Amino acid sequence: MSRDNTPDSHDFPTRRYDLVKEFVIALVVALVLSFGLAAIFSSPDEKAITMSGWAKADPDNLVTTAASELAGTTTSATYGAPYNTNAEGQKLGPIPMQKLGGVRIPIDSADLVLGPLSNSSADPAVSAAEATWKAATPDQRTKWATAYTDAIGTAAADGAPATGAGGEVAKVKAGDYGPVPVLSAGLLALATTGGLEGALTSSGNFYGGDQTKSLLLLSDGAYLEDLARAQNLGGDQWGMMNEVGNAPGQPWMWLYTFWYQVKPFSTSDNADAQVWALMMLLTLVLMLVPFIPGLRSIPRWTPIHRLVWRNYYRTKRA
Amino acid sequence: MSALSIVAGAPGKYIAWGVIQISVVNLAIIGVMVLLFILALVVPFPTHDDESGGQEGRGR
Amino acid sequence: MTARAGELSPDVTADPKNWTNRLRGWFEGLVPPGQALPARQPVYVASWIYVFGVLTLASLVVVVASGCVLALGGVAWWHVSAVGHYFNSVHLWSVEMFFGFMVVHLWGKFWMAAWRGKRALTWITGIVLFGISIGTSFTGFLSQSNFSSQWIGAEGKDGINSIGAGAFFNVLNPGQMLLWHVVLLPLGVGLLTLIHIILVRRRGVVPPIDAELEG
Repeated sequence: MSRDNTPDSHDFPTRRYDLVKEFVIALVVALVLSFGLAAIFSSPDEKAITMSGWAKADPDNLVTTAASELAGTTTSATYGAPYNTNAEGQKLGPIPMQKLGGVRIPIDSADLVLGPLSNSSADPAVSAAEATWKAATPDQRTKWATAYTDAIGTAAADGAPATGAGGEVAKVKAGDYGPVPVLSAGLLALATTGGLEGALTSSGNFYGGDQTKSLLLLSDGAYLEDLARAQNLGGDQWGMMNEVGNAPGQPWMWLYTFWYQVKPFSTSDNADAQVWALMMLLTLVLMLVPFIPGLRSIPRWTPIHRLVWRNYYRTKRA
Repeated sequence: MSALSIVAGAPGKYIAWGVIQISVVNLAIIGVMVLLFILALVVPFPTHDDESGGQEGRGR
Repeated sequence: MTARAGELSPDVTADPKNWTNRLRGWFEGLVPPGQALPARQPVYVASWIYVFGVLTLASLVVVVASGCVLALGGVAWWHVSAVGHYFNSVHLWSVEMFFGFMVVHLWGKFWMAAWRGKRALTWITGIVLFGISIGTSFTGFLSQSNFSSQWIGAEGKDGINSIGAGAFFNVLNPGQMLLWHVVLLPLGVGLLTLIHIILVRRRGVVPPIDAELEG
């Protein structure tokens, strides 16, 4: 440990200084600024999107998402911990960080479709489709659902040609899709009525408060992300720093989100774990600055402190 | 809510420079912070050293 | 003659086994006598950079107070009430100011090497406070019950799940996030702020770099 020759602050000459008055003035300043800025600029309140909003804005995407849940190809279906074991998840080098937490929020992606339908659908065609699905083997289910999602396909984008029916459900060619089209359309119908969120509640009882399943379903589709990206809130748009509209965001998140914009993180499958680890390391370094030779001497080499204490240094020289 | 309150739905104004993209509001906030820092360093602080009761040898 | 931090007041030495005496003695020893709220400061405390700590604290008071007003009406109040929306705005802007003043305070303390003279713990508690404040604001955004909450949860879950913490801290569960935001994290911020301020008063304001005493 190097010598720290800093004298005791209590041994220096003193002057009058009213701490309480200083705090009261600071409080008045903070109050005036907060109340004033609030009055002038307010705060944003963009309404939560709903499943029925999704159903009306992009019904084809909702149907495709439902079919993909049944096929087990959505983001949530292939997520890994804490929802399922269908992926290894993110790693930090050899350490399987994501798996370490375990599957403590078990979500069966097909159940995001089947659960609400079994509880809420009075349509006999949907009930029959559910029975057909239940009676089929897992392999058969996957075949049907994958065939249907392939048949729907995607619209042309970024130079890649359209596939299947170009994403338009109405134009899907006839094929062996089993009960999947009826189930997917059933989910769309339920969403349109406004009853899907309630049927998806994760809270387990009468009282809501856990929106895990609804949000996972929304995240599996394109509607939520499209709206977010339109407001510059996407991960590769420095979104962590931003807010909707012209509202102030979180400027202090600049360094956390910066890493996501540059390689190797921007193209890494383990970007989240890697960025977290890097930021924890940097925070640790910042915390331990007092003990790091060189780093802790930077203030001494930089004349900023000479501005802060210019009266004192001038008096000492005199 | 005042008439000047922020309109939801329309994206805000952003500035792009290479890989950097930042909203005008966030940039303004950071600018104000830097300005406050500089001002805090250079603006003289009133010490009233000419008042009586001046300086004692030890803090109390 | 001023007592130094750590000296026992007379009663403790008279009956040091008494737990009450020992606790009181410990309290009294936290800060040198008269230094908890002194009316004088060392002569070198003469710069506007010094006001950013107290501005951060004042902003925190407004954040908590406006949060309490929001709590009066409940989670969804601000969506349906103009008064509620106004106090949501006060809460947002006081948070922006809290972070703004805190960061300028951090810049100042770095360039002053304020960790000198046994003040490393003051510096460390400050950095930890910064981190916990970020977590508190994150859970706050998740508690807005609007589009921003939906998106921030959908995105945030990937970061937290990637390190295995998502199994215990579910950002898609507003019930959990709200309680972290209004109970657990503010307690952490409050406690650390108290420790941070006690440390500042215990050691006093750091002397200038290369300062020497006369004689």
